[in-house]
Amino acid sequence: MANLSLKSVRKAYGSAPVLHGVDIDIADGEFVVLVGPSGCGKSTLLRMIAGLETVTDGTIEIGGRIVNDLEPKDRDIAMVFQNYALYPHMTVATNMGFSLEHRGASKAEIAERVKWAADILGLTHLLERYPRQLSGGQRQRVAMGRAIVRNPQVFLFDEPLSNLDAKLRVVMRGEIKGLHQRLGVTTVYVTHDQVEAMTMADRIVVMNAGNVEQVGAPLDLYDRPANLFVAGFIGSPSMNIIGGTITPEGFIAAGVTLPLPADIAATGQASYGIRPEHLTVSDRGLPATITLVEPMGAETQVTMTLGEHSITGVFRERLKAQPGETLRIMPDLSAIHLFDASGNRIN
Amino acid sequence: MKTDLSPRMKVGLYGLMCVLLIPFVFPTWWMITSSVKPISDIFSFPPELWPRRFDFSTYAQVFELQPFARQYWNSAYIAAIVTVGTMVISSMAGYAFARIKFPFSNAIFMVVLLGLLIPSEVTIVPLFQMFLGWGMINTHWPLILVPIFGAPSVFATFVMRQFFIALPGELEEAARVDGLGRFKIFWLIALPLARPALGAVAIFTFLHSWNLYLEPIVFLSSTQMFTLPQALTQFTDAYGGAMWNIQLAAATMTAIPVLLVFIVAQKQFVEGLAHTGLKG
Repeated sequence: MANLSLKSVRKAYGSAPVLHGVDIDIADGEFVVLVGPSGCGKSTLLRMIAGLETVTDGTIEIGGRIVNDLEPKDRDIAMVFQNYALYPHMTVATNMGFSLEHRGASKAEIAERVKWAADILGLTHLLERYPRQLSGGQRQRVAMGRAIVRNPQVFLFDEPLSNLDAKLRVVMRGEIKGLHQRLGVTTVYVTHDQVEAMTMADRIVVMNAGNVEQVGAPLDLYDRPANLFVAGFIGSPSMNIIGGTITPEGFIAAGVTLPLPADIAATGQASYGIRPEHLTVSDRGLPATITLVEPMGAETQVTMTLGEHSITGVFRERLKAQPGETLRIMPDLSAIHLFDASGNRIN
Repeated sequence: MKTDLSPRMKVGLYGLMCVLLIPFVFPTWWMITSSVKPISDIFSFPPELWPRRFDFSTYAQVFELQPFARQYWNSAYIAAIVTVGTMVISSMAGYAFARIKFPFSNAIFMVVLLGLLIPSEVTIVPLFQMFLGWGMINTHWPLILVPIFGAPSVFATFVMRQFFIALPGELEEAARVDGLGRFKIFWLIALPLARPALGAVAIFTFLHSWNLYLEPIVFLSSTQMFTLPQALTQFTDAYGGAMWNIQLAAATMTAIPVLLVFIVAQKQFVEGLAHTGLKG
């Protein structure tokens, strides 16, 4: 196991910059998730850590050793790929033992390590099968087995669950997290799914257009997003963002004046953020016209028009409201997020 | 394959297939049956589809009139070396063109492909001059070297390149993480997965070498060195007339490896072409 440090890491393809200088320190045994929309550079960054992409500028250190110019095999990392990348012509056991075989391990050691990994992942009965004879979830487990079998310093996961159906994704999410808790190996995990990021990470790195927007614990990012991008990206359904002006009377937006906490000193153009679950139904609330009601069982998701803005509310109660009706809603003043004109948090 | 055809449609379809089969099957049938007919029966009218008299001595005469076993061996070992050599060269070249980034790779590949456009008749005289200078006339070297480094290998390289292009990049990356260098990735990962394409290349190359005619008649002059296609033309009587039944007996024996290769490997052959995108 080892810590991982990225210092001013840049990447450009020709004259096109992809990463603009990434600084991240990942502690020994930490589970860090890189999350962001497609094209934000998260997979490129992971591949640079793996040694599959060159580093244009900056340094990558694994266990205190700069690895910029080392081949992937010399970095002591293991990677799980999006499409599993299992060798189709090899059995599960051969796939799992392949890296050990090419690092000079004895047959007895390979057999022992493969058995150990197979026991952990519940693959013992599948060892003689070929990848084509396995389900998606089983292939995913084999890919993880191949990674853990040689006890690397760092695990790298590149959107490993994106090919699985929703139900299996939840199961595998738990298995990966459980595996990390059991082995304690430093892990960098790439996903575009913020639910995966929230549920699995010790810390999340939110990326956008080649920049790191914010690094922090999942709930810190959720409760105190540093800017509008993080506020909109983290959370599902996403935070309601309304543009307007902060005044002593409240937050004036198109067609509505929203209440503000008393301690807000700033004034001027801003964005007002409120998460859907921080809206409550109240007789003293602001009138909103319902456009869509989605009963989810445990909660009810309601899309409404407030002033001239479309917003979403999530309510624990089972509302019987219909589209076209008016619902009075009140934002929780302790959970309001305010961002200045450049998108940075101000409260 | 399940179809929704009615019984009448099926009968009609199979009837049509039988009719279309005739131009392909009849020459083989005529060759085999005529090889055991006395020569006079071959030209009888109406033609006999089934021999009235069987004369198997033609097969013995094939070996008496020429060193046919030696010629058979010549063809076999040349085809084997050419097949293996072409598989090695074309798989490595195809892999390099498909997976290794190097300057002007596409342009170089286009230049290589241009080799397919040059008929062998155009290059045969310069090749003769070259091999004459190297002292290789009336040896089998030209029949080995020309296909391995010539047009058949270019076609095989194209087939292999098309296959390797479709190979998922993640497999190579996983192999790099697992500790493999470029050659081991090729040898242990890419090549085993290329078996269908390699099978197609092997069949193409073997048949091409086995049927090679122009090069042997240019480069070889002694009957001991002849290959089968050249030897087949030598079964003539004192007046230069063809000894048809003996020639057809030799042709039947010549065709056996070709038929065996097709029967054994036809599935792999079709799969290989399908994988390389040469067949829709």
